[in-house]
Amino acid sequence: MKTSKTISAFLLIAALGAYTQASAETLTIVIEDIDDATGILQVQVMAGQAQFEGEGAVAQFMEPAVAGTLTFTAEDLPPGEYAIRIMHDLNGNGELDTNFVGMPTEPYAFSNNARGSFGPAKWEDARFVVESDVTQVISLNP
Amino acid sequence: MHRRQFTKLLALMACPLPASVLAQSDGENWTEMFAEAVREYPWLAAWGNVEQDRYEADAVVRGNWPEALQGVVYRTGPAQHEIFGYRNRHWFDGNGMVHAWRIDGGGVRHQARLIETLKLQAERAAGRALYSGLSGAPPGQAGLTGPNDVNSGNTSVLFHHDRLLALWEAGSPYEIDAETLETRGIYNFEEPGGGSSMRGAPFSAHPRVDVDGSVWNFGYASAAGLLVFWHIGADGALRKAGRIAVDPMTMPHDFVVTEKHLVILLPPFHFRPAADAMGFLDMHEWRPQDPCRVLVVDKNDFSSHYFLELPAQWIFHFGNAWEDRSGVIRFDGARAPDPSIMTQTFTEIMRGNPDYGRAARHYGYRLDTRARTISEESMLEPGVFTEFPSIDPRVGCRQYRKLVFLSQSEADLAEHGTLNEVNLFDIESGRRDWFRYPDTQIPEEHLYAPRPGSEPESGGWILGTAFDWRRGRHIINLFNAEGIADGPVASAELPYAIPLGLHGKFVTG
Ligand SMILES: [Fe+2]
Repeated sequence: MKTSKTISAFLLIAALGAYTQASAETLTIVIEDIDDATGILQVQVMAGQAQFEGEGAVAQFMEPAVAGTLTFTAEDLPPGEYAIRIMHDLNGNGELDTNFVGMPTEPYAFSNNARGSFGPAKWEDARFVVESDVTQVISLNP
Repeated sequence: MHRRQFTKLLALMACPLPASVLAQSDGENWTEMFAEAVREYPWLAAWGNVEQDRYEADAVVRGNWPEALQGVVYRTGPAQHEIFGYRNRHWFDGNGMVHAWRIDGGGVRHQARLIETLKLQAERAAGRALYSGLSGAPPGQAGLTGPNDVNSGNTSVLFHHDRLLALWEAGSPYEIDAETLETRGIYNFEEPGGGSSMRGAPFSAHPRVDVDGSVWNFGYASAAGLLVFWHIGADGALRKAGRIAVDPMTMPHDFVVTEKHLVILLPPFHFRPAADAMGFLDMHEWRPQDPCRVLVVDKNDFSSHYFLELPAQWIFHFGNAWEDRSGVIRFDGARAPDPSIMTQTFTEIMRGNPDYGRAARHYGYRLDTRARTISEESMLEPGVFTEFPSIDPRVGCRQYRKLVFLSQSEADLAEHGTLNEVNLFDIESGRRDWFRYPDTQIPEEHLYAPRPGSEPESGGWILGTAFDWRRGRHIINLFNAEGIADGPVASAELPYAIPLGLHGKFVTG
């Protein structure tokens, strides 16, 4: 089953004062290997290292999960470096649940399918360049 | 906007976990170095790479296998040491293989299978070694989302509530089909109220079975700086769990349980992750000037606990423990002066270095829970090195006087440098009886098998496997516990040998 959702980054970026007259590109995010059709899939696109390691996003999606693949489209992105963070909020409590010792117990993933070592992926591993329309295929259960 | 969720996500992932650490690859060809070393020192084949992913054979039996001895020796151990040409840099990094030696009215049948872990499946899919281990890392290694990414199930087994579990040091149990030895997957204990907070929490390889059939265990989460304690009922469900912060964290491998307490030694092998670490061991610093802390925990209330101190030391394994009416705990363990057997010897052996280090001597400990003091004392003459202590399972967590262990004498000039004697030791009388294995055989852990209907610690057998490196055969030997010096009364031999394993359990029936 495939679902496609589209959002324009234009307004978000304009609001942040980051919008310039450069060309605007489309980022397609294909999330594969969604094992469980319950809960909510949350996707966040960050522009630059500071935003990736800090707060905020240039585009965010929240959609009911489906088993298999979900596709999201972020439009009007100015050229630059981005990273994507995805979490599958299985029980819909709005949080990434963790176990007794603080490890995430719900699926999560990063752009480039980057993985950290005992922690989140690093910016250097998750970043990708947008200079024309680009697609990121990310597995939620690598 | 849903910033809150993502902020929380980032905070959680950044906070209790250390900075992203990827070990360096050394770029050496250990597969070649090891193959060359085996030509010169053929006994090193015990650390060779497993040849098949499953084995099955009727063993050729010799001697008298008693009709009354019926059951299965389940074992596990690192077996696949070479992954698509990359040879692991540590003995304990090998992918686990689980074994069943089925003993039934004189016949002995053996099965073994590689455990289908997430790690093994990821490596197979990638066609190469992927992960950093205790030592070193393959080129182009992948990051880890948590310890279960590298959980190999290679350390010990637990047979509990009719369920066979293969255990590792810092992750979840793997459930194994006790009949076919197929891997069923990561096992999560049923939690009260259907919760899931214990999923992925560390469950160490040396749980202790109490007299009521319930199981106690601990686990360490290095990045979070937490020791976890588990109590699993005889019905297989989680009764309770607790957390105790330990700073700095270390690598405790085993612990003991008494009538009232859990006792765990915390050697000064401090967790200090560094960006240029060469594997997990290298994220630790041995500090011999610091004490070995001793954590004493109330079984009924994990929040009630305190720390005592011993001189710096390293212990893999304890035999047993018990507590008398005046609150004095006595326990025993194989005590090494430092962790070099793990940090150096078990890496060097993978390279093919034949200098097998001798490490542990057997010590007895006396812990007074009222005065809050602890003392230690050597149990054996100084020239005896020991490992793999085990007991009659019927006296686990209670008063005991007999220990089974492997040993090696300092003066022994065996061709291989490893442990080569199996012992029955009487703690009260100090009497030690032992059998020395031929130089062509390397014994693995030996276990006490009770004789049906007998009194505890009396009239039983000792069952143990050994690797015959000259003939390329694996064997299992049976001793009368009270006549161990006479040698095996029965044995059974396989048409193959499998790399040296670690721990097992004898399951009657
Ligand atoms: Fe062990």
